[in-house]
Amino acid sequence: MNFWDKLGALDRRWIYLLVALSVIFPLIVPMSFKISITPEARQLFEAVDALPDSSVVMLTFDYYPSTVAETEPMATAALHHLFRKDCKVVTMTTIPLGGPSMAERVTRTIAREYNKDYGVDFVNLGYKANWVAVLKGMGNSIEAIYPADNSGAPLSELPLMATVKNYDDVSFIFVVADNDIVQNWVSIVNAQYGTPMGAGVTAVGAPKYYAFVGSGQLTGLLGGMKGAAEYELLADARGLAEKGMGMQSLAHLVIILMVIVGNIAFFAGRWSQKGKVR
Amino acid sequence: MRTIVPVIVAFLAGFVMIVSFFFNPERTLLGRIESEVLVWVTIVGGFTLLLGVVSITRVNWQAVRTMKEGWGYNLLTLLSIFVMAIPAMLPASWSQLFGDAEGSIYDWLFFHVDYPMMATMFAMLAFYIASAAYRAFRARNPESTLLLVTATLVMLWRIPMGEAFLIQVGDTLLFGYNLPESINTYIMNGANLAVQRGILIGAALGAASMSLRIMLGIERTYMGKG
Amino acid sequence: MSSVEIIQIWVAAFFTLAIFSFLYKDNPFYKLAEHIFAGLSAGYYVGLIWKAVIIQQLWDPMLAGSWWLVIPGILGVLMFARLWPRISWVSRIALAFVMGNTAGIFLITQLHGIVLPQMQATMLALGGTAGFASALLAIIVVVGVISTLIYFYFSKEHTGVLGVTARVGIWFIMVSFGAHFGYTVMARISLLIGRVYFLADLWLPSFSQLF
Repeated sequence: MNFWDKLGALDRRWIYLLVALSVIFPLIVPMSFKISITPEARQLFEAVDALPDSSVVMLTFDYYPSTVAETEPMATAALHHLFRKDCKVVTMTTIPLGGPSMAERVTRTIAREYNKDYGVDFVNLGYKANWVAVLKGMGNSIEAIYPADNSGAPLSELPLMATVKNYDDVSFIFVVADNDIVQNWVSIVNAQYGTPMGAGVTAVGAPKYYAFVGSGQLTGLLGGMKGAAEYELLADARGLAEKGMGMQSLAHLVIILMVIVGNIAFFAGRWSQKGKVR
Repeated sequence: MRTIVPVIVAFLAGFVMIVSFFFNPERTLLGRIESEVLVWVTIVGGFTLLLGVVSITRVNWQAVRTMKEGWGYNLLTLLSIFVMAIPAMLPASWSQLFGDAEGSIYDWLFFHVDYPMMATMFAMLAFYIASAAYRAFRARNPESTLLLVTATLVMLWRIPMGEAFLIQVGDTLLFGYNLPESINTYIMNGANLAVQRGILIGAALGAASMSLRIMLGIERTYMGKG
Repeated sequence: MSSVEIIQIWVAAFFTLAIFSFLYKDNPFYKLAEHIFAGLSAGYYVGLIWKAVIIQQLWDPMLAGSWWLVIPGILGVLMFARLWPRISWVSRIALAFVMGNTAGIFLITQLHGIVLPQMQATMLALGGTAGFASALLAIIVVVGVISTLIYFYFSKEHTGVLGVTARVGIWFIMVSFGAHFGYTVMARISLLIGRVYFLADLWLPSFSQLF
């Protein structure tokens, strides 16, 4: 095995170590960068900002705990923006593993900062099974699908829900998701009921939803931690996403370098093999 | 009977949904039927989730009962299921530890044990993707080279440091051309949008035809054997 | 930090590091964490369905007079018949009910909500006042959509005009998949950043309070 072959076959644990160091280094030597705003993020922010104060906005916690690093900063920034505008927020989730708990904790924590009252300014509907039926059913009656909120209080006892019967009473839907539920929100809710919506999604799913932004079915899109950082900046709710950009930057550069070195090792190895054969 | 009845049920359940699209749900009986059917579906869907739990319990109990190799871990899984589930099912009025509110065993175990582990399992993918990028991402032919170049440009564009670098390249080598804006316009909102749209249209047509096949009873694989 | 908070952080850190230890090699700590994770996740479902479905959607409404909800309750219980091969056919009715319902919704929404709007958005004007850049983008989108659809059309051999268009489609697909890969790298790194932040921002500072 020559040098290039050995380089190409490097033990993966060295690669893991490089990645770990690239993420840890900015913690020791802090890096901060100017974050530019993409048109899609600005479009979403402006759509929410243009809502009249006291509008009812549905915020969905459609993400698993596995992707909180990307999605929770989006939900947090959105809540800061909405509560600052005095919007009424109805949260719900189609994720059975952790969705209701995360929605409850995040919303109540931020609501406390703005002295918002549960049942009047915000409600957490929680989870109900079979998201297709849930999304379709809320178009007729939210109370039929959710007879009670996440904590068991009947919806009829919550003042906010007296004025929010179905999608007709919701001004905007802010979907924060890490899976294909965004497509169902668009095809079932936006297409059938006309409720405007925007989405904050993980970077894995973001490229797909450009098609919905292009067709006008989504008003704006946040993609991954960078998207969350953009919204944090716009909504003046600085958090983890913005702080994470330094680590993200160095890690990306390390991976680009690894791809280049890997290709050099591969081609150099092949050329040296061809040379030996001749 | 074992096949005909489910096929008829599938057809009727779907037919109600299709026809009700064309009627105002507030003014017609069909709309009220549609609403009720959707509630029933959410209820039945909930039991489907429990099916998985029963299955995992059976498998682990079997391993413990037969003392299969590593049965201690299976016992741990069973104990974890019960420690999480039973306090959650007990009324919160009996104790703050019961139920699922903040401060309960259920809530505590989720946020301080389950949640960190779930987040960490996916965090490990960062290492795997780096390893895969190093070992497998090769510019073997023009198509894969294009893929590689695009990926590199997008990776640079998505980080502030990389974006600044691309702006510098545009300023010095491309007569002030805004490279990051071009990546967003022509790659993300151009080629990527076009391909994703094509895939979306194709997949949606496929889903619609599969839905028709299920309703008409042509597709019955969801019923299983027996 | 209070002592309760420190315990919480240390428990979370223990399980985080136990999962990370798999990067070196499989070991008992990882196996322990993995099995507890599986159990807790299953237990979470039980607690959730007990509250959200059995109590809120069945028990309470039936007590209030909606007795007919016993029907979906029975259908739900029939689902468990799948676990015993001899009577698994009984679960077909419940399955068919859910699948048929979903199929009915999808048949309309996939066509009305995705196919038609996406096709409409592809019918872009080349002219107008938007300028050369806009016209170029319109050409890219139209050519890209058509060539992608043709590439994935496998009912006819890709020869002649179809073959050339499919080749163009491959180029577009490579650009899109490259963008996907770039975004995926970003996603994975972000998730790692989240855990590193927890360890650095919460766990490490707790050392000073303990030692």
